[in-house]
Amino acid sequence: MIEVPRRTLAFLLVAAGLWGAGEAFVRLTAPGRIDAALAPALDREALVNIAVTLPFAPEDFHIRLFQGYGVVSGVQGTTVLINRVRADDVWRIARHYWVRRIAPQ
Amino acid sequence: MTRAAAAARGVSPFAVLVVAWALLTRAGVVPALFLPPPGDVARTAWEMLGDGSLWINIGASLGRVLIGVVVSLPLAVGLGVAVGLNRRLAHVVEPIVGFFNALSGIAWLPLAITWFGLGWTSVTFIMFNTIFFLVFFNTLVGVRTVPKLFENAVLTLGGSRRHVIFQVLIPGALPSIVTGIRMSIGFGWRAVIAAEMIATSTGLGFLIYNAANFHQTDAILVGILTIGILWLATDRLVLQPLERRTIERWGLVSTTP
Amino acid sequence: MGRWELGATWIVVLAGALGAWSVAAATLPVPDYFLPPPSAVLTAAADLVAKGILPVYVAESLRRILLAGLLGLLVGVPAGLGLGLSRRVADFFYPLLNFFQSVSGIAWLPLMLVWFGFGERTILVAVNYTVLFPVIFNALLGVRSVPRIYVSALRTLGASRWRIVRDVLIPGALPSIATGMRLGLAFGWRALIAAEMLVGANGLGFMIFNAQNFHLTARIMLGMAIIGLLWLLLDYFVLRPLEQATFARWGLVQR
Repeated sequence: MIEVPRRTLAFLLVAAGLWGAGEAFVRLTAPGRIDAALAPALDREALVNIAVTLPFAPEDFHIRLFQGYGVVSGVQGTTVLINRVRADDVWRIARHYWVRRIAPQ
Repeated sequence: MTRAAAAARGVSPFAVLVVAWALLTRAGVVPALFLPPPGDVARTAWEMLGDGSLWINIGASLGRVLIGVVVSLPLAVGLGVAVGLNRRLAHVVEPIVGFFNALSGIAWLPLAITWFGLGWTSVTFIMFNTIFFLVFFNTLVGVRTVPKLFENAVLTLGGSRRHVIFQVLIPGALPSIVTGIRMSIGFGWRAVIAAEMIATSTGLGFLIYNAANFHQTDAILVGILTIGILWLATDRLVLQPLERRTIERWGLVSTTP
Repeated sequence: MGRWELGATWIVVLAGALGAWSVAAATLPVPDYFLPPPSAVLTAAADLVAKGILPVYVAESLRRILLAGLLGLLVGVPAGLGLGLSRRVADFFYPLLNFFQSVSGIAWLPLMLVWFGFGERTILVAVNYTVLFPVIFNALLGVRSVPRIYVSALRTLGASRWRIVRDVLIPGALPSIATGMRLGLAFGWRALIAAEMLVGANGLGFMIFNAQNFHLTARIMLGMAIIGLLWLLLDYFVLRPLEQATFARWGLVQR
């Protein structure tokens, strides 16, 4: 119908590429964030209690985000304690690039 | 077609809409809280007109629009022409103004509140920068795209720089400028309504947002109708004739950048 | 002016502006939060990215505007085209569409608050409305603006109604549709920011509004810059080129 401008195609490709690269990076590094001690519990139990360590003090944004995954029971320094988190939600948390470590409580 | 017939043609769709609205509410499909019947809205409108509350808010909103226009329009056109005269300067400035144009409007509100606090100053500031950047940009582009041929022609005929500015550049840029004015008032009006909801306690935006807090749906609808009518009136009676007259007079095809 | 010269001039202007800004931030007799220096804005950017906040807010705002754009394209364009086919239907709906387009989605927000409360649906309704009406309106205008002589010509050659729509009316309306999409998204992006300020719990509008409450002015400025930048990218790389492409291919010189 029309000749799609090169500029538009290039932009869309670059945008898609960046997004894809970001997703790939996050998924590849996710397992590295889950503590070895936690991994077996993920397979066994339906709900786990976790301690999520961040490289910074959590802000309101992060607390609210975590409340979507479970019950936030406390904050100790840069670690947030979340109870009753489903296994696949733990993986979701692991896919946030700003999470340093997820360990059992 | 006679003027009466033309007027009827313009009004009849709304009449049909009101009838459909009345039937909908009469059928009880929607609770009265969510959609009050036209009669209720008309009655509330009458009350608000009577006790002055509607007039005060109309005045507040229109006042902010007007101040924004009066202060920023001459500045924007003046600067646009001044910068546009110098091709090199225009080349440099244009993207910068383009960026601020993309940014203009409601996005400035938190910063405006930081600087000026809540109140009409912040809201008027929003109107100001919406109009200023768009008209500045359009003036700049308009002046820049006047064919050099015309400029040279006037200079060859012995015209001075002033002649070039006032008889070639400004008329040539006029379609772009007027389109910019029309668009910026459109954007600005919307931004003012939004800003009034957030930052102040008078004006139509505040009226409808406040009414929502008290679930006064009929007042909300009165406000919405007023907003629509005011914009249509401004556009129809002021802006469109202005645009038509300048484009007809200096009929270059204007492109909105 | 050559490209290198232009680029160099911009760098000089930028450096000068940043320098003046830094000096002003350091010397003006106003509270600290009035005018943070450019370095504070960069720090805020790094901070918000490191904390994962900025990408999420940007993604949320983009998601909403793209959904609205999609709705405009998939629903608004066919609706406008359909309404424009018949002269009588078009004449009937023209004033209505004009009126509803004039009332921006933000003006409907209070009513949406009563209906849906403070939530995602309210934002989406307001933004989608804002994008939809200019698209429908311009699609309708586009169809009406195709010179009737082309339609008659094809009809004389025995073309079916569908062929006429597909081969004459839709292509002829494309420039208007492109303009309508561009206009709708321009209004919609701004309405989105306003809606996120009023209703949202995330998004760029929420970010800058929330930052104001805590006097985090560097975050406000960062948010503003990103809001402007995102629109600029969308307009410069997608909307304007597509609009120009439709005019180049199907544009008739309009009076």
